[in-house]
Amino acid sequence: MSAAPSLEAITASKAYGGVQALDNASFSALPGEVHALVGENGAGKSTLIKVLGGRVRPDSGTIRIDGAKVVHGGPNDAHLLGCWTVFQELTLLPWMSVAENLLLRREPRNALGLTSPRRLVAAAGRVLEKFGITEIDPRALIEDLPLAARQVIEIVRALSHEPRILLLDEPTSALMERETAWLFAQIRRLRATGTTIVFTSHRWHEVETIADRITVFRGGRDVGSFTTLAEEEAVTLMTGQRVETFYPPLPAAPSARADAMLSVADLAGGRLAGVSFTLHQGEILGVGGLAGHGHRELFLMLFGAERPHAGRILLRGREVRLRSPRGAIRNGIALVPEDRKTEGLLLPLSVRDNLTLAVLDRLSRFGVIGRAAERAQAARLMARLAVRAPNAAIPVGTLSGGNQQKVLLGRWLLADCPILLFYDVTRGVDVATKHEIYELMMELARSGSAILFYSSDALELAHLAHRVLVLREGRIAAELPALDLTAEQIVAAAMRERLAA
Amino acid sequence: MRGAGSLDETWRRALYAFAAAVLLFALGAVVRPGFVRPDSILAVLTVAVFVGLVAAGQTFVILIGGIDLSVPWVLNAAAILLATSSGGSDARAFSALLLTLGMGAAVGAVNGLGIAFLGVPAVVMTLAMNGIMEGLTLGLSGGMTCASCASYAPPAIQALAHGVFLFLPTALWLWLAVIAIVSFILGATVFGRATYAIGTNLRASELAGLRVRATIIGLYALSGLAAALAGIMLVGFGGQASLGMGEPFLFQSIAAVVIGGASILGGRGHYLGSVAGAICLVALISVLLAMNMAEYGRSIIYGVIILVLLLLYGRESRES
Repeated sequence: MSAAPSLEAITASKAYGGVQALDNASFSALPGEVHALVGENGAGKSTLIKVLGGRVRPDSGTIRIDGAKVVHGGPNDAHLLGCWTVFQELTLLPWMSVAENLLLRREPRNALGLTSPRRLVAAAGRVLEKFGITEIDPRALIEDLPLAARQVIEIVRALSHEPRILLLDEPTSALMERETAWLFAQIRRLRATGTTIVFTSHRWHEVETIADRITVFRGGRDVGSFTTLAEEEAVTLMTGQRVETFYPPLPAAPSARADAMLSVADLAGGRLAGVSFTLHQGEILGVGGLAGHGHRELFLMLFGAERPHAGRILLRGREVRLRSPRGAIRNGIALVPEDRKTEGLLLPLSVRDNLTLAVLDRLSRFGVIGRAAERAQAARLMARLAVRAPNAAIPVGTLSGGNQQKVLLGRWLLADCPILLFYDVTRGVDVATKHEIYELMMELARSGSAILFYSSDALELAHLAHRVLVLREGRIAAELPALDLTAEQIVAAAMRERLAA
Repeated sequence: MRGAGSLDETWRRALYAFAAAVLLFALGAVVRPGFVRPDSILAVLTVAVFVGLVAAGQTFVILIGGIDLSVPWVLNAAAILLATSSGGSDARAFSALLLTLGMGAAVGAVNGLGIAFLGVPAVVMTLAMNGIMEGLTLGLSGGMTCASCASYAPPAIQALAHGVFLFLPTALWLWLAVIAIVSFILGATVFGRATYAIGTNLRASELAGLRVRATIIGLYALSGLAAALAGIMLVGFGGQASLGMGEPFLFQSIAAVVIGGASILGGRGHYLGSVAGAICLVALISVLLAMNMAEYGRSIIYGVIILVLLLLYGRESRES
C-alpha cells in the first residue's frame, strides 16, 4: 500500500432536503485497484459516486484526484481529469442510435467538418468491436434495445474514453451472467493498465470475484475498508445487525390437483414465440433466462399492457381477453414492473398517493375519495411492510430504493390481487429489504396467492420458486423442478448448454 | 396535511403570484391614485373572470402536460351560438345556455379523443380544432352576416355578467363557484388524482390501472366547457358577439397558468395558482394601460414575463 491514492473523498457531506445522503464520508482508491462500495440502499454509495464523478457538488468536504484538490463544476471537469462514470440511471438518448450515443460530441468528421451516418456507424462499429461487442447493431435505436444491452452501451461509452478512473454505479443490476462476465474481463484489463475502478453492487459473489478492496457504507458514512471480508460480516456491517438464514424456507409446493389460477396456451407476440404453462394456487413459478428473450412481453401481455398476436390466456379455466391493465387488475392480476421508477411509481407524488392508486375506486363514493379511509389504508400498509418514511405525505421519490419497492408492493397488496406478476422485484434493492420481500412472497404463497416471478438473479430463482421456466428465444427452453435446483442449471439452460443432470 | 415549513413548491408559486398581484395593485396606486379604490379593484377582478374561466380549462389540460390551442374559436363560437340560438329572448336563454355549454364540451371531447386514441399531439390536435372551429363559425354565420347574428345575449345572461349580488359582481360569484368546483375536482376526486398521476407519468398511471384515456378526454371536454362558459359570459358582458373576440384568451389563459406556477410539463399545479395568475395578468395590463403604454410595448412585456417565469421555474425543478 505504498502507492498514493489516485482518488480520494475526504469528509464529504451531501444532504437532499432533510435526508443526509453523505455524512462526513471518506474514501480512497489506489491506481490499479478494483474497489467495491457496498451497503444498503440509501447508505450513500450512489451519492459518493456522483460526488466523485462531478455530477453532484458536495455540501462540504474535499475531492482529490492524484493528490490534488479538485472542484468539479460538472461531469465534464471530471472527464478532463480522466475520470468517467457509468451512472445507475441510464443516460443514453433513447431515440438516437447506438452509434450516435457512443460518439456523441466526438463524431468523426471529414475535411469540411461534416459527419455522415455511414462514417458514424463504421466508427461506432470499431469501438464496439474493440471491446468485444458483436451482437449489438450500431444502427439500432437505444429504445429498441433491452435494458441489458443499453447498460452495455453505457459501459462501452465510458470505456471508449480510456478512463484513468472509472466509476460504475451498480453496473451489473441490469446485466445477465454473460454480460457480467464480459464487464469483469474489461475491468481486469483496465486494472492491469493501472486504472482505478470503483463499483457498487448488491450481489456479493460479484464483489468477491472482482474486488481488491471493499468499503462498506452505512447511513451515509464509511464504516470500514477491507481487503478480505466474509459475506456475513459484510451484511452485519451494512445493516448493523446479523441477518439469519438469507433465503426463507419455501412453503410446500401445491399438489398437482391445486386450482389452476392462470393458464397460458401458445402465447406469442413481440419476442415471445409461443409459450404454454399453468400457474397454480399457492405456487411460486419462477421465470429465468437471459434478458431480451421474451420475459418482458410475457409479463406485459399477462397484465393487459401489450396485445398478444396469438394464443390464449385462461383465468381459473375461463378464457379472458385482457385489453388493459385496468381490466387485468379487475381480473385479480397485479404487476410489479421492470423499472419501478418509470413504470411503477409516481416519484414526485406522496407515498400515500402511490399506495392507494390502484384502489381509489374502492376508497371513493361518487368519485370523491374518502380521505379517512385512504389514510387508514395507507398507514396500515406502511406498518405491515415496515416502510421507512418520515410520514405518508412525502414524495415517494425521496425514499431509498428498497422502501420504494415496498410501496409498490403495498399498492398491490391493497388491491388484493390473487395473481401476482413480479418482474425482477428485488432489482436494486438492499439486502435487508430483499429478505423482507422474500418473506412476503412466502407469506403470500402460503395464503393462496399465485406468483409468477421473473428474476435476473438465478440464485434467487433457485431458492424461491417451486419450479422454474427458462425462456430462450421466446420459448420455454426448460422447465426445472425446484428440488436441488442450482443457479448454474438455470444459467446453463438459458445459455443453451447441455444439462449435466 | 403539510407543515408550513414544507409548503409544496406549487403552492409556494401560487402564493408568489398572489403577492405579485398585490404588488401590481400597489404599483398601480403609485402610477394613478384611485387605482386601488374598491370599485376599480372590482373592475379589474371582473375582467380577470374571463381569463380565469378559460384558464380553468387550460389548467386541467396543462396538468397532464397538454395544452388547448382551440380556446379562441371555441369561445368565439360559443358566444355566437348563445346569441343566435337564443335570439336575445330570456325564454330561450336556458336551452341556449345548455346547447352552448354542450357544444364546448363536445368539441373538447373530440380534442381528447384525437389525443387519447389517435395519439395526435395535443398541440397539433387543438390547433387543427381551432382552425376547424374558425371555419365552422365563419361559414355557418356567413361571416357574421346571418339574420340572427346581430342578436343580443338574453337579458338574463347580460344581468349575470353585469349584475351585483351581495356587494360583489355576479361574475365574481360565478368565478368563486368555479374556483370551488375546480379545486374540489382536482383535490378530492378520483378524476383529479388521476389527472396529477397522468401528468406525472402516463405509463405508470396506465400500469396502476387508472382510466387514462377517459381522463384525458374528460379533461379536454372540461377545457372546452370552460372556454364556452367564458364565451357566454363575454357575450353577456358585451351584449353582442363579434368575430375574433376569443383571440386574446389563448395567450392570456396559458400565461395565467404559467404565472400561477403550474408545471408546463404536467403533474404539478393548482387552479388557485392560475386564478392568481389571471388576476396578476389583468392587473398588469391595467397598470400598463394606466401608464399609457402602447399595445406593442404591452405585448413585449407579457412575452418577456412568460419567458422569465419559465426559465426561473424550469431551473428550480431541475435542481430539486
